[in-house]
Amino acid sequence: MAKGMFIDTTICTGCKSCQVACKQWNGLAAEPAHFGKRSGVPYPVADNFTGDSYDNTGSLSATDWRHVRFIEQIDEQRREKRWLFSSDSCKHCSDAGCLNACPTKAIVRTDLGNVVVQQETCIGCKFCIPSCPYGVISFSEETGTVHKCTLCNDRIHNGLGTACAKACPTGSIRFGEVPDLRRRADARLAQLKGKGEKAQIYGYEEADGLKVFYLFTDRPGVYGQPEQPVVPQRRLVLCSLVTILTALGIGVAALVNFRERLNGKEEHHES
Amino acid sequence: MSPDNVQVPEWAWYYIAVYFFVAGTSAGAYFIGAMEELFSSAKEREVSRAACYVAFPLLLLVPIPLIADLGRPGRFWHLFIYNQGGYPYLNLQSPMSVGSWVLLVFGGCTLLSFLDNLVADRVISFPLFSRYYNRIPRKLYALVGSLAGFFIAGYTGVLLNVTARPFWAATSPLMGALFLVSGASTGAAAISLYLIWRQRNAGEEVARLESFDRALMISELLLIAVLLVLAGHTAQLLVTLPFLVMFWLGAVALGIAAPLWFKYRSRRQHFGGAPHLAHYLCILAGGLLLRISLLQAGQL
Repeated sequence: MAKGMFIDTTICTGCKSCQVACKQWNGLAAEPAHFGKRSGVPYPVADNFTGDSYDNTGSLSATDWRHVRFIEQIDEQRREKRWLFSSDSCKHCSDAGCLNACPTKAIVRTDLGNVVVQQETCIGCKFCIPSCPYGVISFSEETGTVHKCTLCNDRIHNGLGTACAKACPTGSIRFGEVPDLRRRADARLAQLKGKGEKAQIYGYEEADGLKVFYLFTDRPGVYGQPEQPVVPQRRLVLCSLVTILTALGIGVAALVNFRERLNGKEEHHES
Repeated sequence: MSPDNVQVPEWAWYYIAVYFFVAGTSAGAYFIGAMEELFSSAKEREVSRAACYVAFPLLLLVPIPLIADLGRPGRFWHLFIYNQGGYPYLNLQSPMSVGSWVLLVFGGCTLLSFLDNLVADRVISFPLFSRYYNRIPRKLYALVGSLAGFFIAGYTGVLLNVTARPFWAATSPLMGALFLVSGASTGAAAISLYLIWRQRNAGEEVARLESFDRALMISELLLIAVLLVLAGHTAQLLVTLPFLVMFWLGAVALGIAAPLWFKYRSRRQHFGGAPHLAHYLCILAGGLLLRISLLQAGQL
């Protein structure tokens, strides 16, 4: 049965305990210190701040498999304001661009539907990196391989939920079986719509269904997600056909050239 | 549209774009040689011989940048054998996987053609090879090799098109076609350079090669134009500084337009050897700059 997560961004408080839990369980390197010593300056100097609200990593990376995004929305009169949070990670797409692109079978799907990178097989060709329409999978210079969220592969195969879901104090990150999560998401969506709020589920259709899907109260783009993500391999057939046709064209051009000359030559011989 | 947060693979241009160029040139040259081998009279062998002498040494260079750009170069063999199962692995959805296998096939064909010509030219003697030498297998691997060569020249463009990077995605499905045409053109230039270097006067054969190349270069210009229209605003980088020089001046003006003009002019007036040499070098440099530009325009 496929496991996944439902991220209800409306009840996220931006506490980042999911980021911390993820780093701890998966043994990922800590972020660089936010303050450093500078010679000649008697007090610690602030560096390594993103300058983007409370965001401390800026994006997903090889050592940040979860990233809490802070979106400050203030209207032009500066009267109405809204602070949106969204905890982002790998979506474990049902049609995963990274998995499709991998030439070594380093990226595989397990029996629970999650997509994982087998570190001992990855050669670091980096083809999966631009093949992910969500910009999730990342290269590590340290290991020479790519890394991303595994949906806590070790935990979920031993009857536990993901570390981030376990740590989430508001229930914004729910781990479970995808159909159950979808029922929960639909109910929550109906509840919000009943209150007249603008809300939408992101991840039912995208890439044949995301195992990790979201409830948003604004456009996906606001949350840093592509509005219309395309699994890039779906262009493969058309690209291949056009290239093959071009090859045929070149072949014909060459043939015509040769034929012309050959015929010319034969006439020359005859005369 | 994909957002800007689709990550950059950070393929080093000096490895990957150079590989695109070298492999494309080798494949283009081999294909032209094979066409002569397959369709021309038996007496005319200068171009196909030059093609074989160009294709294989160029292809020998290919594994170096490809392996050097890997995060774990020592594991390059995982491209062929799944290390956890010990069985051969091919992923038909991944141009990189299929490309690796076809490189092997193409490498085998170029090696056979190379040896074949060395034996025919009596540079080496290889009794076993000579004994079983006849025209039929030569045509067979010329055919297989030129099909594999087409693949090698074109798949690198398809590989870029089937990613989610905005510029590479927007130029779908034309990158493969452009790389293919460019590979054939640089291949022809490499053959011509080889003939100049070895001071082989192939007269009629070179004229044929030239007229073929003119058609290629015109279609290359057309393809670039359509590709840029498709790319739209994702091609903005191409009008900023390094690309203005590298792409427009280098690849398009000096690499295609100027040599094409020269080819048409030299059809009427005969220039000496030196300008010929220069315009072939321009074509080759233009092909390299084209690959670097299109790779980097999707990465920066």
